[in-house]
Amino acid sequence: MNNTNKWLIVILAILLCQQVMAQNNQTQNNQGTITLSFIPNVAGKPLVLNDSSYTNPFDEIYQISKFRFYVSQVSAKDKQRSQKEKNSYHLIDAADPASLQFSFSLKPGKYNSIDFLLGVDSVRNFSGAQTGELDPVKNMFWTWNSGYVMLKLEGRSTASTALNNRIEYHIGGYSGAFNTIKKIHLDANFEIVAGKSVSLPIKTDINTLWQGAHDIRIAASPVCAIPCALAMQIADNYSKMFSIIK
Amino acid sequence: MRKISILVLFVGLVWMAGFFMSAGKHEGPWKPTYLSFNIPAGWPKPPKDIFISNRLTEEGFQLGKKLFYDGRLSKDGNFACATCHQQYAAFANYDHDFSHGFNNAFTKRNAPPLFNLAWMPLLHWDGAINHLEVQPLGPITSTIEMAEQIDSVLFKLKKDSAYRRMFKAAFGDATINSQRLLKAIAQFTGTIISAGSKYDKVQRGEASFTPSEQNGYQLFKTKCSGCHPEPLFTDYSFRNNGLSVNKLLNDSGRMRITRDNKDSLKFKVPSLRNVAISFPYMHDGRFFSLGEVIDHYRTGIVTAQPSLDSLLKKRIPLTNMEKNNLIFFLHTLTDSTLTHNPRFAVH
Repeated sequence: MNNTNKWLIVILAILLCQQVMAQNNQTQNNQGTITLSFIPNVAGKPLVLNDSSYTNPFDEIYQISKFRFYVSQVSAKDKQRSQKEKNSYHLIDAADPASLQFSFSLKPGKYNSIDFLLGVDSVRNFSGAQTGELDPVKNMFWTWNSGYVMLKLEGRSTASTALNNRIEYHIGGYSGAFNTIKKIHLDANFEIVAGKSVSLPIKTDINTLWQGAHDIRIAASPVCAIPCALAMQIADNYSKMFSIIK
Repeated sequence: MRKISILVLFVGLVWMAGFFMSAGKHEGPWKPTYLSFNIPAGWPKPPKDIFISNRLTEEGFQLGKKLFYDGRLSKDGNFACATCHQQYAAFANYDHDFSHGFNNAFTKRNAPPLFNLAWMPLLHWDGAINHLEVQPLGPITSTIEMAEQIDSVLFKLKKDSAYRRMFKAAFGDATINSQRLLKAIAQFTGTIISAGSKYDKVQRGEASFTPSEQNGYQLFKTKCSGCHPEPLFTDYSFRNNGLSVNKLLNDSGRMRITRDNKDSLKFKVPSLRNVAISFPYMHDGRFFSLGEVIDHYRTGIVTAQPSLDSLLKKRIPLTNMEKNNLIFFLHTLTDSTLTHNPRFAVH
């Protein structure tokens, strides 16, 4: 009888474990979802690739053919805690509507900010071959000087003195004097309810690239494709491109 | 009661068996042959373990070797990694200052030998590449080298059933992607170790230097080891060794990467292992013999360059006899166990 009791306890323990595991799964189901959607525009004008013309603050006219940037290490915060998205790497590409938004789950409760890195966190820049959003076939990894291009803007401008009036900004550099990774903090008051989804549209104004902390004129700097002081200045400017649409 | 408890026990066991089987279900029958990375006796550990996220297997190594020797990694099929990295030259490009690339282009720097790369913190003459795995992206996509795009390479490999089989053997399923391609090549290039030269045999007490070699070794220790310390025969630092600037190339070296004037004309100190068979020398392959190299250090250094290495300000005085003995010693660094090893050779 004693022996039997022992075995019963073992079986009960196993069943209990099973119960706890099932509950864990249920906890995940008890979460809500946040969806961040980026809305690229130029000073309020919707972004249309290869078509619309835009004017920067220095009255330089330009068109855009490519606009991409990395968002990584996304988290939602309230006063006490921070919840991170797992495996948080997103390539936002204006040419690919599906890439403009992504979702992740959060515990129910009130939050007051969204935080992320504009760019790829430094570690992934020197940790060898990556895959998924960070796959070098996405053409966002420099082959001549290891590291990710954090933001890419290409197009044309009559103000450009470069070949075929092109403008080309490949902004990268992950360490030392030329670190272009930007911490983005967006105040956002929202509440997550279990099983429900909340959407945060984020206006993404490309025209911030030219003015802010530094004046960047196309006539003077139509191209920037290496980690350098100019890249740092451009990154300073575009780090202000996000605002949550209320 | 006893019968009931036995029944409960049985049910429990069946449940547990099911649990463990489902946990193992995704592993499949994949059983690669794991390899260990062996550090030669007396050598330091590599600065970082590049195989910690790329576990070495025989299957991964063999796949990497096939890729290394495959011209399909280039646009026109003519240029494999091995085209410019030949085993008989310790994986340098024998007798070429610059290498030939796509459409009769010349490269802009001398192809370095490949061995002991697991110890090399930064790759390329200017340290541009920060991890062995991502190095092949440079030559594969360079328009003057292999001139190909990574997704085109993957497209070609996916059509080849031999590759589908080998990727599956190396990684557990037949998915072919850039990460696996690069990790496999790193398993090949990262395990090419050169530690079997006469010098190494002397260190292990299995051979002895001739008097000239011994004299050259003593000279090496006092005159050269400041930048080329044993046992790797380099400290992997970037230094300006006082070469005159080639006006056609205007290669600023490390400064191209750091944008720092202090790094102007600095290049990575190369290992002296296999130096006798990996000529020509320097980042632009300007010297074809060891004698020319030593003459540069004796009398050729341009001392007016602000970034000239402090160890070379007075050049390196050596008599003709010392020069010859030094060359005798440098020949003891040739590793025929590397150049003749069938493990690294194309089948």
